[in-house]
Amino acid sequence: MNSDKVLDAKGLACPMPIVKTRKAMNDLQTGQVLEIHVTDKGAKADLAAWSRSGGHELVETAEENDILKFWIRKG
Amino acid sequence: MTNKVAIIASNGGLFDAYKVFNIATAAAATDQEVSIFFTFEGLNFIHKEANGQLPMPDGKEHFAEGFKKANVPSIPELVTMAQEMGVKFIGCQMTMDVMGLEKEAFVDSIEVGGAVTFLEFAKDADVTLTF
Repeated sequence: MNSDKVLDAKGLACPMPIVKTRKAMNDLQTGQVLEIHVTDKGAKADLAAWSRSGGHELVETAEENDILKFWIRKG
Repeated sequence: MTNKVAIIASNGGLFDAYKVFNIATAAAATDQEVSIFFTFEGLNFIHKEANGQLPMPDGKEHFAEGFKKANVPSIPELVTMAQEMGVKFIGCQMTMDVMGLEKEAFVDSIEVGGAVTFLEFAKDADVTLTF
């Protein structure tokens, strides 16, 4: 899936993936898509909840070799 | 629903510090307005010298390795991060008086106040947590 920006948050523990996601999202415009790569398994539920509470749309998720990938469209 | 998270930090161990700052930074990253009231041992978290050497609970010292392996940020890093995201720190005046501590001993930009300063912020917060 296409993205406007990619955030590499691999190797980081909670709460860093969320903190970095928020920072990266601030640089995007409404409708643009942020792609996030993490290894923190807790981020699976956290990024979904973060998207919901911020009015963003978690468009797609994928898992490749222990790397979790998320695509979030800015709301 | 308001956008406020009110936290009381009253214990001074390393584990307590992570509970406080992980919730605080995660809330701030989710566009919540966050205030933390540091009282009694919780003041250690924002004390410039103490917050880099917070103690592990007795018998749990072996977790130090786990912290390193999980690549968890240090408490001073989380303190800076929280402040950058607009988390407000309130130091408890009464505890500072009892312990003989001045505002200069703490990280910059803290507010010093009493219980009412915190209560005023917390009165319409949807989430209030004590650690």
